[in-house]
Amino acid sequence: MFELADQPIDSAAWRTRLAHGAAGALVVFEGWVRNHHLGRPVTELEYEAFDAHARLEGEAIIAEVEQDYPGCRVCCVHRTGRLRVGELSVWIGAAAPHRAAAFLACRQVIEELKRRLPVWKKEHHPDGATEWVNCTAEAATSRLSPETYHARQIALPEVGAAGQAALAAASLLVVGVGGLGCPAALYLATAGLGRLTLADGGLVELSNLHRQILFTADEVGVAKATAAAARLKAHNPLARIEAFATRVTPLNVRTLVAGRTAVLDCTDNFTARFLLHDACRAAGVPLVSAAVHRFEGELTVYAPGTPGCLHCQWPAHRPAELDATGDCASGPVFAPTVGVLGVMQAAEALKLILRTPGADFRHTRLLNLLDASVLAVERTANPSCPVCGQPAIIRSDRTPSRPDVILTEEAFVALGPVRTAWLLEAGETARAGFPGAECVLAGDVLRLRELAAAGPLVLACRSGVRSAALARLLRAEGMGAVFARAVGAT
Amino acid sequence: MNPTAPRLLQLQFFAALREQAGCSTLAVETAARTPAELYRELQACRGLTLPAELLRVAVNARYVAMDTPLQAGDHVVFIPPVAGG
Repeated sequence: MFELADQPIDSAAWRTRLAHGAAGALVVFEGWVRNHHLGRPVTELEYEAFDAHARLEGEAIIAEVEQDYPGCRVCCVHRTGRLRVGELSVWIGAAAPHRAAAFLACRQVIEELKRRLPVWKKEHHPDGATEWVNCTAEAATSRLSPETYHARQIALPEVGAAGQAALAAASLLVVGVGGLGCPAALYLATAGLGRLTLADGGLVELSNLHRQILFTADEVGVAKATAAAARLKAHNPLARIEAFATRVTPLNVRTLVAGRTAVLDCTDNFTARFLLHDACRAAGVPLVSAAVHRFEGELTVYAPGTPGCLHCQWPAHRPAELDATGDCASGPVFAPTVGVLGVMQAAEALKLILRTPGADFRHTRLLNLLDASVLAVERTANPSCPVCGQPAIIRSDRTPSRPDVILTEEAFVALGPVRTAWLLEAGETARAGFPGAECVLAGDVLRLRELAAAGPLVLACRSGVRSAALARLLRAEGMGAVFARAVGAT
Repeated sequence: MNPTAPRLLQLQFFAALREQAGCSTLAVETAARTPAELYRELQACRGLTLPAELLRVAVNARYVAMDTPLQAGDHVVFIPPVAGG
């Protein structure tokens, strides 16, 4: 709840409004009129508001904070009119189940309010002079200037004014705000990006803190995306950072990835890795991916024009089986490994935006922190990859033969009404003569997975080779009823 | 509509800008196509001294970019640096 008040604030009454049974902590911020500012004595303050706009903005700030800290209730009242020294100008209360969220929520309200609320104050001095705060020539020169903030970066010949403008126009998504995501986001937040979104559905845990360097012990139990965004906004008030405190799923991944300049995969499991890879591939968005195992890590950039894809590397594997072979989600971690890899991910993403000469996205880097070595491994496309390979070369015998995957014409008819997808090769246009089939770009595994998740699915393509290979790939991932029509069946 | 034809706009001023403009609201007929052009006009004819790069602008109660095209009847508010709290 947000209010503008032209009369003194009754803080006791506001405090009562916030009381609720589930609240275990109330943090209150009171702004007081003080008798000096920038070395000059002050006798009175005069507050003026753009009324309708201030109410909307105030309500919006509170709604955002209440959404960021589930279970938290926030009230804020801001004075207008003339106030004497010692009077209360703003009162903010945040009541939450636990103190960590209450402290963070209260802080976030006052910081956002000072940045966004269309309210102005005029200082009255003992000599009768007056001054609108922040509107003087000195304020204009001392303001947080992006040009000054980024000066040492702009001075790089590889950046310059044009590069900085490219960064300001860029939109990045970091998925996973953990050991990799924290250091990556820290360097991205200071780069001057147009938009930076942090996505993570998890909460800060005590056993995370040794490597997830954006979080403090006070923040255990708070949503990681929210806590990280708050920390980074404090670090760089110029940065435009959004928290998406929800797990990335097949349902939301397309929206999250759409329109991005690049995406950073900072997750710790193969299910998320394949999901992000496939969504980025479908959207033509470069993906900067990293993975670590104890003292070792791997860094790969998948971008349009780089050789191969994730499926070339792990053909027809179930993500769950790959996860079971490692221990990245819960196993031991040497913290500097994720630190180095996360910072390298940030560097690769910035180089993608800046189109830095000499950048090499064709090699995968293998790092070993035990002997401090970096090995560049050339990636090659697997010509028979069911996702990015050539139809003439794709082998459909990669997995043990499952005779029920290929449907004869008879079996297809016997199946009755069923969803069908026609796999479009590059350059092939939507095909007439196959009524009811959805045309899907051959490499868009994400869409095929969506269709398969909704029920039985039959794949078809011109040669019958890719449809068989992709049907087997989806089966291997655990999708049950995915079939391919036999060659020649139309 | 001819983009340079004069049109009537409703302006509202707050804080330092209100005092410099000498009024809270003002109806102006102007050929300015964008808030940036409009503000340059106002600086010249009403003596507004705040530099444009310190301001944000709300048109019809929505923050917009300074180069957004203006339409006849728009309600325009130049927002000086805020100082709540």
